[in-house]
Amino acid sequence: MATPVTNFKETPEEIAYELRAAEGAAWIGSRSLIGVGSFIYASLAFAFFYLRSANQAQLWRPNHVTAPTEMGATIFALSAATAALSVYGMYRFRRGSVVDWEVAGWMGLLLGALGFALQIYELTRLPFYPGSSGYASTFIGWGVLNLVGLLGGCYWLETLLARSLRLRRAVAEDGGAANSTLPAARLFRASVEGCTVFWGFLAVVAVFFWILFYLI
Amino acid sequence: MASTITTPVAGNTAAPPPAQRVRNRPAWASQHLGTALIGAVAGYAFGHWIGNVIGAGYTVPQSNGENDVAVVLGLALGALGYLIGIGAFNYPLAKLIGREPLPEVAEEGWQRYFRFNLDHKVVGMQYVIVSLLFLFTGGLLAMAIRTELLNPTNHFFGAGTYIAVVGEHGTIMMMMASSVVIGPLGNWLVPLMIGSRRMAFPRVEATSVWLFSAGYLVILTALPLGGFPTGWTGYAPLQTQSTAGMDSYLVGFAIIGMGMILAGLNLGATIINYRAPGMTWGRVPIFVWSVLATTALLVFATPTLVVAGLFGILDRTALTAFYVNEHGGSSFLWENLFWFFGHPEVYIMALPGFGIVGEILPVFSRKPLFAYKVGAAGMLGVALLSFFVWQHHLFQSGINPDMRPLFMLTTELISIPTGFIFLVGLGTLWKARIRFEPPMLFALAVYFNFLIGGVTGVFLSDVPVNVTVHGSFFVLAHFHYTIMGGLIFAFFGGLYYWLPKMTGKTLNRKLAIWHFWIMFVFFNLTFFPMFIIGLLGQPRRVFEYATRLQGLNDFSSVSAYILGSSFLIFAFNFVWSIYIAPKRAESNPWGSRGLEWQVPTPVPHYNFERLPVVVADPYHYDEPDQGVADFGTFSEPALSEVAAPGEQVPPADVQSPDDSGDLDPRPPIV
Repeated sequence: MATPVTNFKETPEEIAYELRAAEGAAWIGSRSLIGVGSFIYASLAFAFFYLRSANQAQLWRPNHVTAPTEMGATIFALSAATAALSVYGMYRFRRGSVVDWEVAGWMGLLLGALGFALQIYELTRLPFYPGSSGYASTFIGWGVLNLVGLLGGCYWLETLLARSLRLRRAVAEDGGAANSTLPAARLFRASVEGCTVFWGFLAVVAVFFWILFYLI
Repeated sequence: MASTITTPVAGNTAAPPPAQRVRNRPAWASQHLGTALIGAVAGYAFGHWIGNVIGAGYTVPQSNGENDVAVVLGLALGALGYLIGIGAFNYPLAKLIGREPLPEVAEEGWQRYFRFNLDHKVVGMQYVIVSLLFLFTGGLLAMAIRTELLNPTNHFFGAGTYIAVVGEHGTIMMMMASSVVIGPLGNWLVPLMIGSRRMAFPRVEATSVWLFSAGYLVILTALPLGGFPTGWTGYAPLQTQSTAGMDSYLVGFAIIGMGMILAGLNLGATIINYRAPGMTWGRVPIFVWSVLATTALLVFATPTLVVAGLFGILDRTALTAFYVNEHGGSSFLWENLFWFFGHPEVYIMALPGFGIVGEILPVFSRKPLFAYKVGAAGMLGVALLSFFVWQHHLFQSGINPDMRPLFMLTTELISIPTGFIFLVGLGTLWKARIRFEPPMLFALAVYFNFLIGGVTGVFLSDVPVNVTVHGSFFVLAHFHYTIMGGLIFAFFGGLYYWLPKMTGKTLNRKLAIWHFWIMFVFFNLTFFPMFIIGLLGQPRRVFEYATRLQGLNDFSSVSAYILGSSFLIFAFNFVWSIYIAPKRAESNPWGSRGLEWQVPTPVPHYNFERLPVVVADPYHYDEPDQGVADFGTFSEPALSEVAAPGEQVPPADVQSPDDSGDLDPRPPIV
């Protein structure tokens, strides 16, 4: 028989201690996620440089083939813009303007989703066959990993925006989500901060691989 | 200063307040293993159908009669359906509309082990069950291998079947070994050992165990799909050329890898943030240190495996050429990526085993853990160095010869922090009055076995020896001594030690001792001859061998059968002692000072009635009057009193929950 675990009489100090732990876990969790992402993308970068230096059968990048540059630049710009909006939103959020964060967040979500869709589209419009060269292969790998990153970032942002709407009324009398001392608001802020840092990470990754695949 | 152990109060059993909304579904409408399996079958069928639709437009699948897109999509969507069926996606989907989690539900009865459950103790037991499934499946395949090797020329299997069995055995065992301690014991024990009521991310934790079991199902599909000829290392270009069984390998390893990453994320965040007041870094149990070091490896090394697997899947489905030399790829790219994960993987397996032994030795020696800080530093050192040794697996691959000494050196360096860990054990045993209980026997065996495995590992790190015995049974014997002789012995030691707390039942001591001696003696009789067989030139993964080696092989095979039967003793003991003739376990049967032993048995759902305030590390067996923790009413002023000299306890800076309006003041489970 399932019974809810609500009968545990926690002391105020215990609740405070666990809340602090939960905030810390949000911080550690988001940074660890970036650690995971770093090694994922570092593996791709390793593959890029390894195949480039090996240049097996002179097929690293025959005729200097390049993925559609305009489309790639647009995807990169969309990722970077989403990150910039997240950072700006966080800046406004810290100054108490939750609405500004929400507007920046919805805009960022839209741009991130657009980048996601455009990345899929780009993969269907490549001027090379996936197995035609080392460059072609690693580019397909980048496309897939970028899709995963963008999807994860958009999901996180969307859930925060949806949560913000539901939280609004509950914390209205306590100064709003940006200032409330209620546990739900504090954890919400920790998650917003983590999401912003994650988008910043995605932007750095986008810059790095944009240079790799389109510029050099 | 609070310094005495006060008896903790058993779990509160008062009725819940009626205002809470709890989803109580009838059994037939709820989500459980049955719905997960239905989801898996539906997902597989759907994915396979989609794959066939996609593949219909291409000539390759039509010409060779094998559509890897269909197989990969089937397996991936099958795993997804499995997770949806068990309920792993309920909350992530509810979050899309901003929903908060429902109140945590405490389930009773055996059914909870077949559901998506957020209690770390249930998840730990789920891991025990799945790990044992892995172990027994892999063990049966090992018996098949030894049966084939009974005769050098008369065969039970064809060559292809034999290599498929070898590959399946190796992969299943490595998958199992990567989680066999971290999963069952890490999840079950870490919150209790650090004085926490919960994990940092219980849903992430629960998802990890269901990914682990999904990986088991996926890797099992390799055999009906024709197996894979690469062994557990999955080397390209054979990987790219082989049949659909390889898809199971790649998808299965990727799924297991994702589960490992999630488990590492959760455990790391829990250890760093959820330590009880007074549980400073200098008081963290050595097992928790080992888990923390392992989580770093899980989080940073495993992503490389997942990406390497993704590249392999893309090669086989989208026809990229990551590992195809003729098209600008390189088969060595797989080797590098795989071993960048693969060598830290060895320590993902070994470190928690050391942690278990570090917990057991002081209890049965009644002495403090010798050089505790050196042991913890050794574990962190091993974890760090393990990222810099992977090239020693490629000494034979044609790498720049100038690189060999460098990686030989880094590999040899790793024996130094490993030596620290040995030193801790030997120092603890020095002049101790040892109680030879089953957990202690297994712990001592770890030192014996791992010494042989470790020393032969130092041999293998030397280029000349490596070149000589590469790919032979010598290497096989070496890693069985480290992984089975170290990890699996430690795992069973840990099970015998903690199962009375985990299950509330006492395992039969005589059967446990029989299990130990048969396993220990016949483990050595099985694997030690393989060093000789290897030195005499028998290669791994080949089912024919020189007739002069039949005697040694037969000796090894017969020993392996008896070794295998020792696990049946454990299985019998487990079922008999827990289900057929259960005998209630005492709360602290071994007289341990560990925090996990200070709570009642069975452990209450929320672990601690009051959060403990830790006042000492758990290894002061030389000062029996000194307490470990104060289980009285938790209060903030006590925090500053219990901090060790030079260590700071974070201040309390939160508001009283009394002014928290209509929201639940407790942190939600995320």
